[in-house]
Amino acid sequence: MSTKTHILLVDDEASLREPLAAYLIKQGFKVQQAGDASAARSLLNAYDFDIILLDIMMPGEDGLSFCRFVTETTDIPVIFISAKTEETERIIGLELGADDYITKPFSPRELVARIKVVLRRSGNGPGKIGNGTGSIYQFSGWTLKTDQRSLIDAEGVNVSLSTGEYQMLLALLTRAGQVLNRDQLLDITQGREAHAFDRAVDNQISRLRRKIEQDPKNPEIIKTVWGGGYLLAGQVKTL
Amino acid sequence: MTRLWPNNLVGQLLLVVALIMLLAQGLNGFLLYRGMQTQNLIEASTAAVSRIAFGLEREASTRPLVERGPPRRRQRGHLKFTTETVISPDMNRLSELEVRAEQALTNMGFTFSEIEAVSVRQLPAAMEGYVVGANRGRWRNSSINRSMGSRRQPPQTRGFVILSIQRPNGQWVSIASAVRGRSPIFIRTLVFQTITIFLLLLIPLILFGRYISRPLKSLTVRAQSFQPGVNEALEERGPPDTRDLIRAFNDMSSRVSTMLDEKDVMLGAIGHDLRTPLAALRIRVENVEDDSERDRMIAGIEDMDQTLDDILSLARLGRSQEQSEPTDIRSLIETVVDEYKDMGHDISYQRGARQPAHIRATLIRRALRNLIGNAAKYGTSVDIIVDKSDDRLMIHVDDDGPGIAPDKIEAMFEPFVRAEESRNRATGGSGLGLTLARAIARDHGGDVMLENREGGGLRASLILPIR
Repeated sequence: MSTKTHILLVDDEASLREPLAAYLIKQGFKVQQAGDASAARSLLNAYDFDIILLDIMMPGEDGLSFCRFVTETTDIPVIFISAKTEETERIIGLELGADDYITKPFSPRELVARIKVVLRRSGNGPGKIGNGTGSIYQFSGWTLKTDQRSLIDAEGVNVSLSTGEYQMLLALLTRAGQVLNRDQLLDITQGREAHAFDRAVDNQISRLRRKIEQDPKNPEIIKTVWGGGYLLAGQVKTL
Repeated sequence: MTRLWPNNLVGQLLLVVALIMLLAQGLNGFLLYRGMQTQNLIEASTAAVSRIAFGLEREASTRPLVERGPPRRRQRGHLKFTTETVISPDMNRLSELEVRAEQALTNMGFTFSEIEAVSVRQLPAAMEGYVVGANRGRWRNSSINRSMGSRRQPPQTRGFVILSIQRPNGQWVSIASAVRGRSPIFIRTLVFQTITIFLLLLIPLILFGRYISRPLKSLTVRAQSFQPGVNEALEERGPPDTRDLIRAFNDMSSRVSTMLDEKDVMLGAIGHDLRTPLAALRIRVENVEDDSERDRMIAGIEDMDQTLDDILSLARLGRSQEQSEPTDIRSLIETVVDEYKDMGHDISYQRGARQPAHIRATLIRRALRNLIGNAAKYGTSVDIIVDKSDDRLMIHVDDDGPGIAPDKIEAMFEPFVRAEESRNRATGGSGLGLTLARAIARDHGGDVMLENREGGGLRASLILPIR
């Protein structure tokens, strides 16, 4: 068995699919291409894939339907690739069990980073964004709904999070009580390693604290562990 | 006048009916009054005729009056005998009464050469004491009227009829007869009648008015809150023409919904068909060896994508699938500010207490991005100030850029108009940013305003209503 990550790329547009496959191969992945859902199904039977990159709008069976089939029959994570940017589509995709969503046109580097994040998450057990219904986490008066990526306070008011903050919070929530160092957090949230003097994690944490802590200077929810990293304190209820 | 004019259908209907009824009853009253007056005149002249007949009969049946010297008035039946007529030419002759009296007297077998009947307001002095008819004293003393209480007024006298005939011997025989005035209850009866009829009409009128106005009201409400594709058909009720109107409205709204659905499908197709080649290009660009060349190509592709996005968002606005939810504006601003800080812009923002508002967060974030992005593009440092009044929230985005000529400010909201005269794309952006931001704000019941700041720079304000 190859140690290379095996990707199934499903897109009806050959003009996009072919250069993308070439790029991914260059980045060290093993790629199979399918032009429609039925071709993808037969490839799915023939190979063992680690991840599926799936276009939503395809002639014949569309991506949403194929994704439902994949999540019902396998554990293979799915990333949607679509030209549609309507916010609702994002929610539908995640509810159907897609793990992430990227809109055309995208940076191929960004796609590779996301592939790594999704793989890390699915390999590490909890943390899968879409598990079919979406998870709801409750902690210290806050509610995080993964199907809409929304953070809601005790009064029912939505509090806006950037994607980075959301992923950071989710990483901490799914590993509540566990101390996570900067490298681990970067790895989980961005699928990359920290370089020297990397302040990205500390930055996200301090922004997150400003939004959720009563007193950001004296954090109660996200605590700093000296020399170690960060930890989410308090009870987390998963619904 | 306009203050008294009710502003709804039922009120106007009631007012118009009340006015018409008042007019009709007034006319009716006038005619009744006229009829009554004629009746009273006839009555008075009939009394005069019978008194003359009675007097002349008595004179004929007893002895000749002349021979016995002047008889007592009573014996002569209150008739006045004169050699000259008592009627002066300036009195109002009533030919109709004359004809009636002539007929009556002729039928009774009297002969006379001349007959004159007049109506007068004041009894001429000559006729004083030769009057038949109403007498106030007698009325008041009648036991029947006393028992009715004091509320009943005695009938008023309204002038007199003087009937005068010339006998064949040239002698004039005259009698005055009091004409009854209008009954004091006449006006009261008329008013009571008017009010009764109006009250009787009131209930069916109100019911009918509501029958008409209710469906119209719901149609108005529906038209005001019209959201294509969201509303089911409005129930057809009310009178047939109102039903026709509602049916036409329903047809129209479903046509509008269909058209907008088609537009959405078309926009989706355009978005898809343009983004796919753009995405392919974006991937191929990664193969370009020259770093600066590649970055410029990437920026170009992203710019095109952004423009496409702005156009599609603008075209789809108002058809957003996103629900409006209570959202903290402060954290929303902060998220956008952080994005721009990460890109290296100098943005200052003092975060304050939580500020919830009912908004579509994705759209408002977009509007904020456009405003803050503009400020960061044209200025070196950006200041964001949040101002709150009772019913609205103002988010001011201040920059230290060149500002905009005052006469160009409104034009900035037009699609594809940019601050620079030439439409060069050096500063990027589609020229739709402000158009979109304002459209989003207005969709939320707010607005976006631009003004030059004192001391240079531009202030863009996003105004949102808060409940």
